[in-house]
Amino acid sequence: MNSPLDLIAQPDALALDLRATTGAEAVRALHARLGTAGGAVTDPARLLVDLTERMTLSTVCIADDIALPHARTAAVSRLVLAIGRTTSEVAFDAEHSRVRLVFLVGTPKAAVADYLQLVAGLSRFLNHTATRAALLAAADEVEFRAVLARRSKK
Amino acid sequence: MKAVTDPAALLMKRVLRLLRWRLWIQEKLQPTEWQATLLWAALAGFLGALASLVFSGLAEGVHGFFGRANVDVVDSMRQLPWWGRLIVPTAGGACAGLVLLFGQRLTRAQSSTDYMEAIVIGNGHVPIRASLVKSTAALFSIGSGGSIGREGPMVQLAAMLASLVGRWRLFTPPQLRLIVACGASAGIASAYNAPIAGSFFVAEIILGTIAMESLGPLAVSAVVATLTVRVLTAAHVLYRVPAFQLNSPWEMGPYVVLGLIAGSMAPWFLSSLKQAEKFFVSLRLPIVARLALGGLAVGVMAINVPQVAGNGYSVVVDILNGRLFWVALIGIFACKWLATMASFGSGAPGGVFTPSLFVGASTGFLFGTLVHAVWPVAALDPRAFALVGMGAFLSAASHAPVMAVILLFEMTLSYDIILPLMLCSVVAYYTSRGIASTSLYSESLKKKAQSADSSPPFAETRVADLTRAKPPVVLENARFADIAKTFFGVRVTNLYVVDREGKFLGAVSLHDIKPYLGEPDLAELVIARDILHEDFPRVAPEQSLAEALGKFLGVVAERLPVVEADGTLRGSLAKGDLLLALVERRKALSP
Repeated sequence: MNSPLDLIAQPDALALDLRATTGAEAVRALHARLGTAGGAVTDPARLLVDLTERMTLSTVCIADDIALPHARTAAVSRLVLAIGRTTSEVAFDAEHSRVRLVFLVGTPKAAVADYLQLVAGLSRFLNHTATRAALLAAADEVEFRAVLARRSKK
Repeated sequence: MKAVTDPAALLMKRVLRLLRWRLWIQEKLQPTEWQATLLWAALAGFLGALASLVFSGLAEGVHGFFGRANVDVVDSMRQLPWWGRLIVPTAGGACAGLVLLFGQRLTRAQSSTDYMEAIVIGNGHVPIRASLVKSTAALFSIGSGGSIGREGPMVQLAAMLASLVGRWRLFTPPQLRLIVACGASAGIASAYNAPIAGSFFVAEIILGTIAMESLGPLAVSAVVATLTVRVLTAAHVLYRVPAFQLNSPWEMGPYVVLGLIAGSMAPWFLSSLKQAEKFFVSLRLPIVARLALGGLAVGVMAINVPQVAGNGYSVVVDILNGRLFWVALIGIFACKWLATMASFGSGAPGGVFTPSLFVGASTGFLFGTLVHAVWPVAALDPRAFALVGMGAFLSAASHAPVMAVILLFEMTLSYDIILPLMLCSVVAYYTSRGIASTSLYSESLKKKAQSADSSPPFAETRVADLTRAKPPVVLENARFADIAKTFFGVRVTNLYVVDREGKFLGAVSLHDIKPYLGEPDLAELVIARDILHEDFPRVAPEQSLAEALGKFLGVVAERLPVVEADGTLRGSLAKGDLLLALVERRKALSP
């Protein structure tokens, strides 16, 4: 990976069948899919705690239908990204009740610049209505990945 | 997307973009702490020049009251009848004494800190009332013809105003001491129309260092002061002299001898002033009577030798322009020396800087005349020896040869004489130091340092002593937009992040967030905790300055957080304050 933005096209985990009714459930489910990300997540339990704790401090949603749970944590050795799509709308928090797309980010403590680059990149990527619609409409993982690859290069 | 449709998000998007541009402009145009110091130094220079001009004007007014306003002190004294020459300096001394006497009531609660004390052994506080009382008293001793210089009160007033500026801006002690030093530099520069010498006077004599951390602000202050004086008055070269030059290499020999003579005489001159002071104190007279007696002594000599009145400036001009015969000068020289002893010894407020120039000029001229008589080719023009003698004697008396050479050059703009001036000044300096370790200024400082209750404030300085309270902070859950706004409002490159109990968590760097100020979606999503550097270096209040300096290495920061043992953020330590304190400490520890 040359740039943190490359992760968007090649996430560590992809799950298009997340079943959850709350934000916490969605994060837990996606975190379970992420696993150890080939050794990048050195302490999965710690990562979940840090993600949950971060969600209590401030919203992690960037739109009505998109959540970006993230944490800077000692539980990862590099930037990790897991992308999930829920099977139904999830009430992530009090203000965001229709979340379908979840982008889970884990960042090493020292990688502030990489973190900002990835989060800003994701925001720009998801800023396009057509991209979001294509991700929601993707029939399978292959099509979903194709949208990610195509759109993230724009 | 929310960012597209929500009016609030649209507004935030615009605000962030605006902030991005404003931060860029701020970063490019806003001064760093050192640049800000230069701006305050410039203000100190401007105020110092105004103070000097006001003091000069008032001194002329007092002089006009006692004598004639349109002529100098010596001519004014010449035009008085014999009894007038007795009464005027006596009355002036008595008036100065009365001002000091009544002034004691006003200044009882204040320390007698003068500017040198404030810079070298104090915390930079120059008391207002004590300075004003002393300067008012000096107006009478100077205006009535006392054999004393006016530069002392001018510098004191300039330093007092600089101290006020620093206190108004809540400067830390090292900053305050530096700004007071800038005031002093401005005072000297205004008094002698000599910006370089003004800077070096303070750097060499008071601070004891020509480190750029201090010399830069001193130079700015002196330049602004000199410019102000030149704009507001018809300032000119202080001593207009003929073009002197080194006529023959053989002249260097006598110049070396002149250096030895000036270097030997300076400690003697200083010692005589000290003895005179002891003598007047031993009389146990009330202060009014003591200063009146000093004035009377000047008056008695002025009956036959009116040139003893004043700081000696006009006599030096006469010497340099060949208007005084050497036989007459011998008498004037002896009487002027005694008159300076009387004025200084009786406690007349003022300086002995200009009287020292007179002693040097007289010594040089008399020596040059002697050499010319026995070996003409080695001293073609004795007036050149007078000029070099001034520098040499000043160098020996002040223990500041660099300042002396520069001052002489600036006061006369006579560059051709620079070679013998440098050689003679250095020889005089080493000769003087070999005889006595005290200088014109070291003695009083030494006394004050010994009488001070506490040790010098920076001798054992710790981080706690330099800590600035209330650094700009954000809470750990502060949003990206709020962080950007806070950065915009304060001149820092790192914002400290604390929790609700005030515990330090880390720092957010402006460098990190700057590229993303145009990203409106980050405004709500990213909080301080997401982007803080938990490993940001910090210092403890009890750490030494050397340890603190080590923490600055390898980090791009003008300030570091000062954190208590329990993690509470106590304040911040500025690198500028630390470097200034280290420079001061090095000076304090030097023998």
